[in-house]
Amino acid sequence: MTKFSWKIGGEAGFGIMTTGLVFSKIASRLGYQIFDYVEYPSLIRGGHNTYEVVVGEEEVSALQVSVDYLVCLNSDTYRFHCSRLHKNSIVIYDQEDFQITDFANTVAVPFKKILHEQQGQLVMKNTIAVGASLALLGSDLAILNELIEKQFRRKGEAIVEFNKKFARMGHHYVTANYQAKIKKKLVNRKGEVQMVMTGNDAFSYAAAGADCRLFAAYPMTPSSSVLTSLAAWQEKTGMVVRHAEDEISVINTVLGASFAGVRAACATSGGGFALMVESLSFAGVAELPVVVFLSSRPGPATGMPTWTEQSDLLFAVHAGHGEFPKIVLAPGDIGEMIGLTAKAFNLADIYQTPVIVMSDMFLSESHKTISKQQVDNFFRAFQIERGKTISAWDGGQYLRYKLTDDGISERVIPGAKGVYYQANSYEHIEDGHTTEDAVARKQQVDKRNKKMTTYLKNHFANPKIYGDLNSAKVVFVSWGSTKGVLLTAQELLRSGYSRETALIHFTSLFPLNKEKVRVLFKKNRRYVLVENNSQAQFGKLLLMETGVEIKEKLLKYDGRPFWPEEIVNYVK
Amino acid sequence: MATIEDFSGYAPTWCPGCGDWGIGVAIKSALVQLGLDPSSVMAIFGIGCSGNMNDFLNAYGLHALHGRGLPNAIGAKLANHALPVIAIVGDGDCYGEGGNHLLHACRGNHDLTVIVHDNGVYGLTTGQVSPTAQKGFKSKSTPSGIIEKPINPLTLALASGATFVAQGFAGDINFTIPLIKKAIEHRGFSLVNILQPCVTFNHVNTYQYYLQRVYKLNGDYRADSLHVAMPAALQMNEEKFPLGVIYQVQRPTYVDQVAQLKGTTLLNKKRFEDLAAISAEFI
Repeated sequence: MTKFSWKIGGEAGFGIMTTGLVFSKIASRLGYQIFDYVEYPSLIRGGHNTYEVVVGEEEVSALQVSVDYLVCLNSDTYRFHCSRLHKNSIVIYDQEDFQITDFANTVAVPFKKILHEQQGQLVMKNTIAVGASLALLGSDLAILNELIEKQFRRKGEAIVEFNKKFARMGHHYVTANYQAKIKKKLVNRKGEVQMVMTGNDAFSYAAAGADCRLFAAYPMTPSSSVLTSLAAWQEKTGMVVRHAEDEISVINTVLGASFAGVRAACATSGGGFALMVESLSFAGVAELPVVVFLSSRPGPATGMPTWTEQSDLLFAVHAGHGEFPKIVLAPGDIGEMIGLTAKAFNLADIYQTPVIVMSDMFLSESHKTISKQQVDNFFRAFQIERGKTISAWDGGQYLRYKLTDDGISERVIPGAKGVYYQANSYEHIEDGHTTEDAVARKQQVDKRNKKMTTYLKNHFANPKIYGDLNSAKVVFVSWGSTKGVLLTAQELLRSGYSRETALIHFTSLFPLNKEKVRVLFKKNRRYVLVENNSQAQFGKLLLMETGVEIKEKLLKYDGRPFWPEEIVNYVK
Repeated sequence: MATIEDFSGYAPTWCPGCGDWGIGVAIKSALVQLGLDPSSVMAIFGIGCSGNMNDFLNAYGLHALHGRGLPNAIGAKLANHALPVIAIVGDGDCYGEGGNHLLHACRGNHDLTVIVHDNGVYGLTTGQVSPTAQKGFKSKSTPSGIIEKPINPLTLALASGATFVAQGFAGDINFTIPLIKKAIEHRGFSLVNILQPCVTFNHVNTYQYYLQRVYKLNGDYRADSLHVAMPAALQMNEEKFPLGVIYQVQRPTYVDQVAQLKGTTLLNKKRFEDLAAISAEFI
């Protein structure tokens, strides 16, 4: 069964990202599944960019250490990644750029010569490289040509043809000179139509599909592409997208819109989220629905902007002064991102409180394939639930913050005739007026807290279990983007070492349902907590919320995601 | 038609003689005279003595965080531009804590009416200096006198792109009511800075102080020229306070320029369901 990895590297600013995505889309259109990953410094020019894609016939959920095809657009690519080669790997490079003396299985393609002779621009080196790669993988150029047409159509036929020529020359060169190295690894499998999406794409798509009408953000890696995607789509979706002056304005724009009755959301990373925290507390007391997408990167402060970490979980859980209800969800892959994002908008409306959707750079920026049919079916079945949001009031005294059994009160959309109220950041009585009365204060605190009891009863989702909890010798416990890595590690342990493991993957992170969670943890079994942070934040949360303590921890906090092989080596 | 009574909520708790009383009456009178009722206005309140009007004014109110009323107002307007949105804020609120939001609300020409109670002090926290206090003003937080020059809210708004800038005086309500009406009727961002004596904590900028230093812009004044408005606004730096509409021009509002809001409010728009329109880019 075909499974291989392909990696391209080159100087930042020369189209590595675009080229990598083109490769992922070619594989996807041919009927393969992919998972990819980018590494780039926090620079626009200079430094080294890489893009790697794992291609398989079945679902691919993680990277692999070994690189089967390494495309070096400069010597750094080889220097940084040669340790990941095995004897059957193939290195594609240009002898005019640099020499390789310590590795035999190379394919030398004269990028510079071709560019010079055909008067191409430097970025077209990528196109030659993709053409050469496709030749080595036994594929033709049909889909690459389609993608070139799609990308350059607006610039006219001549530009389309000019770009196609470079793909053709790379392809021809390999076919003519390296026939023996060609292996039929990419054929047209005619599978179902797939979408190639990042976690950010999945959030954006689901926000549009879940009737989010206003979105605001201030660009911050790794969340920025949510802003740019939603902005690019706004005339199609009708969504209003505001790039505000700072993150405080971002969330308050969203809260203003939410007050006025539309579904609204914002996206940021840790630093921007820090600026939003006071306003999150405002949403809590004023009972305004809001969805906040929080994609983490390594902190503290500016940290390492373009790398990954799961270090904002406890910050998100505790964000906001005072006590108020809040829901934290964490998808582990793009499929879950679509489902949980759509659910987040419903939960925000139902509970009239902030819902945070967690991500990290690894989930936010890695592409994965997902069946288009699956996505279409999800949205066909998805129901908008606005809970107790109402657009008219038919007389009688209206109490915005009426005490109720479930803690949730009817919320009239402003503009409804014959009624008015204030949403108040101060403590208030049932009709919204400010109060400092001891009894009223306690009643309103209890009312808001009740929403969490209601949520735990009605909407808390049990963690997903992969593998058999009863027979597994090792049970991994995790959340977020480590899911795919652990699923892959489980498969490697099964096939390579006959080790049966299980995974408890949490998606409803806060609040946790103590009763439902505790039963998953038994005495005398080996549980391993796996997190991309240094302080085992979910482990602490689990202990705090349920009393379950996991002593054995596998933590990584160097800015890089886990390799499945690291997990395997740890437990094998 | 709604009356002053319809707009009147709880009895105000402002100090006797506070300028806020006059501003409160002026706002309610303007709303009544414009034929509005409490169900047809969104009012966003800041934090401070001014923001406490949330309990005294009946409307769809949002009592915001300190300094953050303007982005709330922008969001509310974007969601439902059919309703007038008024932000009732203070000088510390709007020129201090939320100063950045003011600049960007002006440049966006968001169709809001921002009414600033400008008393030079933080009343609610018992009298520390605010950004509009005159240099040298002694307060609990500046016992030797404030080192900074005061913010000039009028020039700030003019330079930032506001399309309506006016100044009123809490001691002259009959003059201030039409200013507020014009501001609400103006399509685009409007700032009404209202000079408001704080009788408890500001013993410098008193009614007497202002009565000696305010002047009404006369009939010849050309409010549509930035070259006229700027010098008038700069008079503030000399402790001369022009009253009236300092500047008014027409420029498309933010909402006017958002294609997806043509002909409908965001709130009343049909739900987007055509995901096929955006799915192609992922294939």
